[in-house]
Amino acid sequence: MVSNPPPKPKHPFSFYLLPFILPILLITVWQLASNLDWLQSSILPSPLVIAQTLLDLLKSGELLKNIAVSLLRVLEGFAIGAGLGLIAGLIMGLSRSMERLLSLITGLLRPIPTIAWIPALILWMGIGESSKITVIAVGSFWPVLLSVIQGVRSTDPKYLEVARILEKDRVTLLTKVIIPSALPSIFTGLRIGMGIAWASVVGAELIAASSGIGFMIMYAREVSQPDVMLVGVAAIGLTGLLIDFLLLQLQRRLLKWNSVWGGES
Amino acid sequence: MTKPMSLKIENLTKHYSLPQGDLAVLTGVDLTVQPGEFISIVGASGCGKSTLLRLIGGLEQVSEGRILFDETPIQNPGLDRGIVFQESRLFPWFTIEENIAFGCRKNLVESEKQQIVQDHIKLVGLLGFEKAYPHQLSGGMQQRTAIARALVSRPQILLLDEPFGALDALTRIQMQQEILNIWQKEKITVILVTHDIDEAVFLGDRVLVMSNRPGTFKKTLSVPLARPRDRNSAAFLALRKKIYDEFFSKKKTGGRSR
Ligand SMILES: Nc1ncnc2c1ncn2[C@@H]1O[C@H](COP(=O)(O)OP(=O)(O)OP(=O)(O)O)[C@@H](O)[C@H]1O
Ligand SMILES: [Mg+2]
Repeated sequence: MVSNPPPKPKHPFSFYLLPFILPILLITVWQLASNLDWLQSSILPSPLVIAQTLLDLLKSGELLKNIAVSLLRVLEGFAIGAGLGLIAGLIMGLSRSMERLLSLITGLLRPIPTIAWIPALILWMGIGESSKITVIAVGSFWPVLLSVIQGVRSTDPKYLEVARILEKDRVTLLTKVIIPSALPSIFTGLRIGMGIAWASVVGAELIAASSGIGFMIMYAREVSQPDVMLVGVAAIGLTGLLIDFLLLQLQRRLLKWNSVWGGES
Repeated sequence: MTKPMSLKIENLTKHYSLPQGDLAVLTGVDLTVQPGEFISIVGASGCGKSTLLRLIGGLEQVSEGRILFDETPIQNPGLDRGIVFQESRLFPWFTIEENIAFGCRKNLVESEKQQIVQDHIKLVGLLGFEKAYPHQLSGGMQQRTAIARALVSRPQILLLDEPFGALDALTRIQMQQEILNIWQKEKITVILVTHDIDEAVFLGDRVLVMSNRPGTFKKTLSVPLARPRDRNSAAFLALRKKIYDEFFSKKKTGGRSR
């Protein structure tokens, strides 16, 4: 029987320790430099001070509330942007003439950085939620669009031939052959898109917001609280890492048939 | 089963248009295959064997002449002609079971479908591997899955394009036996393309020898040996030698240095 997956290879303890060595070293040096007064605390507070601030912000619930606000915006914007990217990508990937029709527009719009849209969106939609969510949607749209087109295009013609021989209709062809074959590529696009979405929400909140992690950083700068500012910055990094980790787990689950993408990585 | 249908190839020509001009791949191919017959085709690499199978399969269009299946010219691929390629072409995202089920005709009731798939898993000897993915199987098991996928729709003709080419000698002999069992059980027409003269004689009712480009049948040998055949019998070896000489007769003496 082969129904049981093979046992995962065991790694030595040092394998798990390895990624932590450099950050720990860095923080130690930083702390030492602060203790020796080499660093000015109003510009770069010591790790211990930052840790204390982190605890305070966690206790008061302020940090988690701001992260939750930003996360919600990301999820809404990403759902819209990635969803549209998926649909447009399928259409453009499947039909040469559709791609041709849209090629000039996408070619012109794609190089525009997401943040460049923020002033225009604020003008059109105000500083409310919708302008921020739109920025995120725009940011996550492009990588998803491109990876879906690329994935659909690279479907092995040998598989398409098999589907022809077996007289499959268009819907079956799309759902059972083209999309599964494009899935590894689509996932890469989703992960990049999510990264951009998370970066864009911070950008949008830096410019105009009254809540969210970007707002927290900006406000801390205005009231000269570098420790709060740095806690916010670190929180962005950690949350981004966590989101990518979750997407990677989902990818492994969905691509377990694929020895490269579904395996350990 | 529906009534058996015959396959008739009449004066077939196939050429590909290439930038440097037309490339004639097949010329003047004539063949009539009786329902239930097992045909082996041998030929050197590049002589157009795969092209001929792809034409019968409807994946390519003829340049001249016609291929009649049940008196009508072949235009498109269809479930009445199953094809197994040299590479298994299984979908890596489907399990063995799902790959085989993908070959089923549509509008089947789910329970019926499950039964058919289960029967074919048994037929090709893959019981216990239903839930495995193709990359977890050996090359021989992958080819058996591909054969099962081609058979579930109950095709009239099974087209095999060097299906065992990538397998080791022992597995190949085992697979030849299995294909023979399936052919006898399903009473299906089989056209097998191969490089392997031994395989061609062991399996075929007739062996067709193809000439080099442009390809055509230069010789047809019927194999009057009863099955199961003994690969080491004098009659078998004599037939084998006859086909071998078709390829190498001009260099029968000298030139042994290589
Ligand atoms: N799509 C194509 N376009 C142009 N030429 C082609 C095409 N397909 C096949 N050919 C040419 O037709 C000839 C016969 O190819 P084919 O694949 O039928 O050979 P074969 O007998 O199956 O060889 P092998 O035993 O190596 O598989 C080759 O010279 C090949 O280059
Ligand atoms: Mg070939």
